[in-house]
Formats: sequence, C-alpha cells, structure tokens
Amino acid sequence: MSAVLGPERPQVVSHVQQALSYTVFDCKWVPRSARLMCLGSAARGTGVIQLYELHGARLEVLREIEKPKPIKCGTFGATSLQQRYLATGDFDGNLNIWNLEAPEIPVYSVKGHKEIINSIDGVGGLGIGEGAPEIVTGSRDGTVKVWDPRQNDTPVANMEPVQGESKRDCWTVAFGNAYNQEERVVCAGYDNGDIKLFDLKTMSLRWETNIKNGVCSVEFDRKDINMNKLVATSLEGKFHVFDMRTQHPTKGFASVSEKAQKSTIWQVRHLPQNRDIFMTSGGSGSLHLWKYEYPAQRSKKDSEGSEMGVAGSLSLLQNVTLSTQPISSLDWSPDKKGLCVCGAFDQTVRVLIVTKLNKI
Amino acid sequence: MPVWLREHSWRQSLTAVYLSLPLRGARASAANIFCSEQYLKVSIPPFLFEAVLYAPIDDTNSTAKIGNGNIFFTLYKKEPAMWDSLTLTNADKEKLQHLRENAVIKAQEKAKEETEAKKITKQEHKKYALEATMKLEETERKRIEDLKEKERQKVTKELELWKNQQKDGDKYKSIQTKEELHQEIEPLKERKNEKMNKTQIPNEGSSKRRFKSTRGCHGSCSIFSQDLMEEQLPAPRAAATIKVNFTPRVFPTALRESRVAEEEEWLHKQAEARRIINSDLSELEDLKEEEKNPDWLKDKGNKMFAMGDYLGAVNAYNLAVRLNNKLPLLYLNRAACHLKLRNLHKAIEDSSKALELLTPPVPDNENARVKAHVRRGTAFCQLELYTEGLQDYEAALKIDPKNKIIEKDAEKIRQLIQGTVQSS
Repeated sequence: MSAVLGPERPQVVSHVQQALSYTVFDCKWVPRSARLMCLGSAARGTGVIQLYELHGARLEVLREIEKPKPIKCGTFGATSLQQRYLATGDFDGNLNIWNLEAPEIPVYSVKGHKEIINSIDGVGGLGIGEGAPEIVTGSRDGTVKVWDPRQNDTPVANMEPVQGESKRDCWTVAFGNAYNQEERVVCAGYDNGDIKLFDLKTMSLRWETNIKNGVCSVEFDRKDINMNKLVATSLEGKFHVFDMRTQHPTKGFASVSEKAQKSTIWQVRHLPQNRDIFMTSGGSGSLHLWKYEYPAQRSKKDSEGSEMGVAGSLSLLQNVTLSTQPISSLDWSPDKKGLCVCGAFDQTVRVLIVTKLNKI
Repeated sequence: MPVWLREHSWRQSLTAVYLSLPLRGARASAANIFCSEQYLKVSIPPFLFEAVLYAPIDDTNSTAKIGNGNIFFTLYKKEPAMWDSLTLTNADKEKLQHLRENAVIKAQEKAKEETEAKKITKQEHKKYALEATMKLEETERKRIEDLKEKERQKVTKELELWKNQQKDGDKYKSIQTKEELHQEIEPLKERKNEKMNKTQIPNEGSSKRRFKSTRGCHGSCSIFSQDLMEEQLPAPRAAATIKVNFTPRVFPTALRESRVAEEEEWLHKQAEARRIINSDLSELEDLKEEEKNPDWLKDKGNKMFAMGDYLGAVNAYNLAVRLNNKLPLLYLNRAACHLKLRNLHKAIEDSSKALELLTPPVPDNENARVKAHVRRGTAFCQLELYTEGLQDYEAALKIDPKNKIIEKDAEKIRQLIQGTVQSS
C-alpha cells in the first residue's frame, strides 16, 4: 500500500462544528445549495429533521421539524431537482417522503416494514441517470423493498426471506447499475456478513457472498453507470472493494480488502466528482480517505477460459480523528468538491473540507 | 617508616617560589601531591616529602610539573615577600601538627566546594539545553499550526466565493432561461407531438440534453419541461418478490470474525452436554429433573455414605459421573466408598482419576488432593503394596506437612517396610 507523501497530501480541515441537542443518525446535503439536513432522534423519543445553512464559519438553523417517530435515514436520491423532496425511514418502519416547504403532511407515506428501517437509498432523481425514480429500504425485519413514489402501498420489489427461514437484519442497501431505463441493481448487506446483489430487471438474485463480518455499509462508486466498483464496509475494521465489471460464474467478483482500524467502519462514501476516491468513517471517530488504483489489466482468463476480474490496490491518502464517538453518517456535497458533512454519536455535526483533491 | 626525601632544591622570586624535588626513581602522579595554603606534601610510598611553608601561598594557581624523575613546583606567594627559608624552621611539633590538620581540613572543604560548584553548573547547563529544545519544538509546532490555519482560511474564502457564485449564477440563469424558454416553446410543442408516435429512447437523449443546460435554475422552470419529464419516466415496475436465503447463523447477534472461535467452542459444549443427556434417554426417562443434576446426585451420595449405605452411594456417584465426567470430587468420594467396600483396585482407579482432574496443583484443591493421596495410599497398603502406599502418603505429607495423622501412618508404613525387608 503506497501513500502520497508530504505537503501534497489532501488535508481534512474542520470548517464548522455544531453541537446538537439530539442524536443525529443521518446528515445529507440538499442538492444545489449550501444547505444540509440532519435527521435523528430527540431524547423524548420523537424524530427530528433540521435544516441548516452554511454561513461563513457557522451553521444557521433554517427549520426544525419534529415527527412522532425517531428518524434513522434519509435520501434525496429519488426526487427531481425542482422538488427536492426528502425520503426518510424511521424507527417504526415507515417510509415517508416530505416536501420541506410544507412538512406537516408527507407527500408519500407507507408502513413499509415491521421493524426499523436501517438504510434507504434513492435513484432516478436529481437529473442523474435514467429510469423511474425508486427508493429502496432495508430493515431489521430482514426484507429489502423497492418503492416507486407513484405507486401507493405496495413495493415494486420485495426481497424477503424464504418461508420458515430465520431472518437476519439488513443493515445497508444501495442502488447501482442504473445506466439505462431498464437496468437496475440493488445491493444489500446483512448483519451475518451476507452481501446480496439483486437484479431488478430480471427480478433475481445475481450474486451473493459472505464477508465474515456484519456488513455496515455498501455503496457503488456511481449509481448511474454500468456497475464499476462496490465498496462494502464491515465490523472489525475491514472493508472490501469489489471490481464489478467482470463476474466469474463461480468465484463471483474479484475484491481487495483492507483493515484500516480496529473499530467498526460505519460508512463509506465516494466522492461525487471522482469515483476512485472514497472516505470511510470509523467507530473510533476517525475518517480515512482512500484512493483506488486500477490494475494493469482488469480481467484475465482463468484455467477454464472464463473471465475473472482482477482487483486493484488501495492507498490511504489521509486520516484524521475528529471525535471519540463513532462517526455514523457522512455525505459529500455534490456541488463543491471536497465539502462534506459528517454526524457523530457525540451529538455533533461537522462540516469538513478536504483540500488538494484536484491534485490526486 | 617512610623514607624522607630531603634532596630538594629551591629558589624564589618576589612573587613565586620554585621548588625542585628529585624522586629517586619513584613514579609520581597528581594524586600523590597534596597542597594547601601553607602545607605541601608529596607521598609516594615509601617516599615522603613534606614542607610547612614559610608563608601562605595561593594553592589554586600554583602548579606542579612531573617529569624526568623530578617534580617541579611553581608556588605563587600570597604576599610578595622574600622568604628566609622554604619551611618554618622554628616551629614546634605541635604547631606543625596543627598546621597539618588545618591543611587537610581546608583541602577537604575546598574539594567539597568544588563539587558543589560543578553540580550547580551542570544543572544550569541541563536547564539551558531543555529550554532550547522546548523553544525549537514550539517553533515547529507553530509552523505546522500556521500552515493549517492558512489552509483553513484559504478554503473558507473559496467556500464563500462558491456560495456567492451560486447565488449570482442562479439569478443570471433565471433571467437567461426565461428568454430562452420563450424562444423554445414552439419547437418544444412540436417535439411533444412527435414523441407520442416515436419510441422513447432516442428522443430522450435529445430532450435530456436540453434539460441539462437549464439544470441550474430552481424555481423558474416552465411547465412544459416538467410535463415532458414526467412523460419520459417509465411506468412503475411490475411488482415481484425475490426469495432470499441467508448464510445460516445460530446467534442473533451480528457476525464478527474475532468472536467466531468463542462461538464455536460454546456450540461445541452445548452439543456435548445435549448428547450426554440424550444418549441414555431411555433409562433416564423415569428419573425426576433433579435426579439428572450431577451436584444433587453428589449430595445424595454423600448422605448415603454418611449413613453407611456404601453401595447406594456408589450408584449415585456412578450416575453423576455419566452425566458429567469432569468433576473430580465425584471420583474422590467414590474412591472412599470403594475403600469401605474393600474394592481396593477400584478405589485406586478412582483416586487416580480424581488426581488427574485436580491438575493444576493449586492451594485451592490442596484439601482434595491430600484426600486423594491418602485414599490411594490406604488402598495400596491394604493390597500390601507398601512402597506405593508410602509414596502416596509422602505426597500427601508434602502437600500438608502439618497433618499428624498422615505422619503417624507414614511412620507405621515405613516400619512395616523395614520389618519386611529385614525379615526377608
């Protein structure tokens, strides 16, 4: 593993720190603006959505919305740029889509799961990619459901355990491979180390593997291209990068794994402006910035003549410890390169700037 | 008796005295010379030279040069005056003695002072060095801090610029697009009609491109573009279910690599326990729940032993052992029963098994080990294997030397052995 040395390394500069009066579970930038959302759970047991605007060296609260149930996750991925509706999943298993201008009544609401929705992702909105806008939710009840905001009450796809099988918690979901109207893929990570790739065009399981540790976060490097790379992070400080271009019939996808720190890696997020750079956030309150380097040849033939992928290598660009508590959520700004927000369990949300990303 | 060196020669000036002392072959070093204000001594055993000087000298600046079998002293006088002689000739013995002692004391004091002074200077040097390093580190740290600050400020400025750009950009674009849209309304309407007939995908490409150019505007997009976008979207997917099988896992907690070994062990032990209980299911069916508990059975056995029902006790212990064969006390107690029943070989077996299970030998299981050794020893003796019996008794004694009974029995056995040896 090589490292970029000296003063040319990207620096992670902490720009603003904001103490919150509730536990923040997710933070997201509002697209096309210098505003961000924080979602979480107040001590009273109610859900909180706060809208902040970045003013110089401060975060100014624009709006604070309270909801009956604590909110675990949210995404802007499935709305249009004009509407910018926020889709949230809460502790009770409800999926709601809110218009932040009129947040009293949700635009769309469904009791999607029997237990907490751990993770949510959206695709087809924001002018990125093609196809119907869809939202996928993964829950502790072991099911992964895909919703279309135009269809009420029933999901358009439901990945549930076989009858009689004991369920495992689904901890994370991600969309990918949405390069045209028909193709779509959902990747789900579970607490027993399973990663499953569902193809929504053929409505089947395309690939599955087990990485020996509960999977905390999965993300494709881009949702709207032919699937290129998938990063899956897990407990015990490990994460795996899978090369998704070549699928071998038995061995699946090639991968490289790295053990960065002793604690759980809670989140991985790719830089929207450069799909080979991503940041992982850890349970020890640290952030690591990584760069993936492709191998000379991305695929090779094995002994039987079938194609198999070749994984590349990873280099650590920078790491920084910001907090003593886990940093559970992370989001890059799609508008300004290097601007990111992270929320930690010490009830603070931090806006960070990563410098010198142009030189990588 | 020292050999006095008397062949010295000297000469003087107003301020100094020059003394030359031939050494008669002895080798001198700085340690052999002792000099104070009014006393000079050179002692190279067995040679000795001493001189109580006529007048005090400045002993710190005076020098002695050793070489060529000779010591050459240069003594600087405290008061410039010509001396009548090198030494005080008319001094009596007492005065001389007194002077000598004074000289020694003075020399000692001087030595002490010197060491003190040295210590102080050393400490000061250390302090200075420490301060210097601290300063260096401070400057280094400051330099890094400054670099970071600069970065931060640069980045903050950029951010502000970007934000303002965004705001301006929006205003500008909104004005621009209003004009553009007025121009484009007509061709858009046409395209819309065309689209109805053609397939979706190629048109999508072209209209998508147009939308990308107006992406910047928020609130000033026309209705037309929105309609088109909605029509572009495919219908919601046909609902379907995919059935999922999970990698099996017994525990409800998440999988962690570091815990896998522990979990395996736990499962193994559970399987073991279940197997034992289930293996004799037919026989154990008519037993009550408590009768399947090895501890309860042990207590029952103990009670029966106390009452004298040795066979019953053995049965109880047998069942307990079947359920859990890792408890040493069961074997120990069963050994006692066998002794009473005169099943000596079985007693030996059980005591041995108990001892095996009682490793490692720690103070906690001392008691049990003593008992095991004693019981085995007794069994051996009753089988007339006195030497083995003695070995066990001695082992017991080693663990518990204060036990008189064991000592007495050991003695008895020794005598028995000696008796048989003598008689044979």
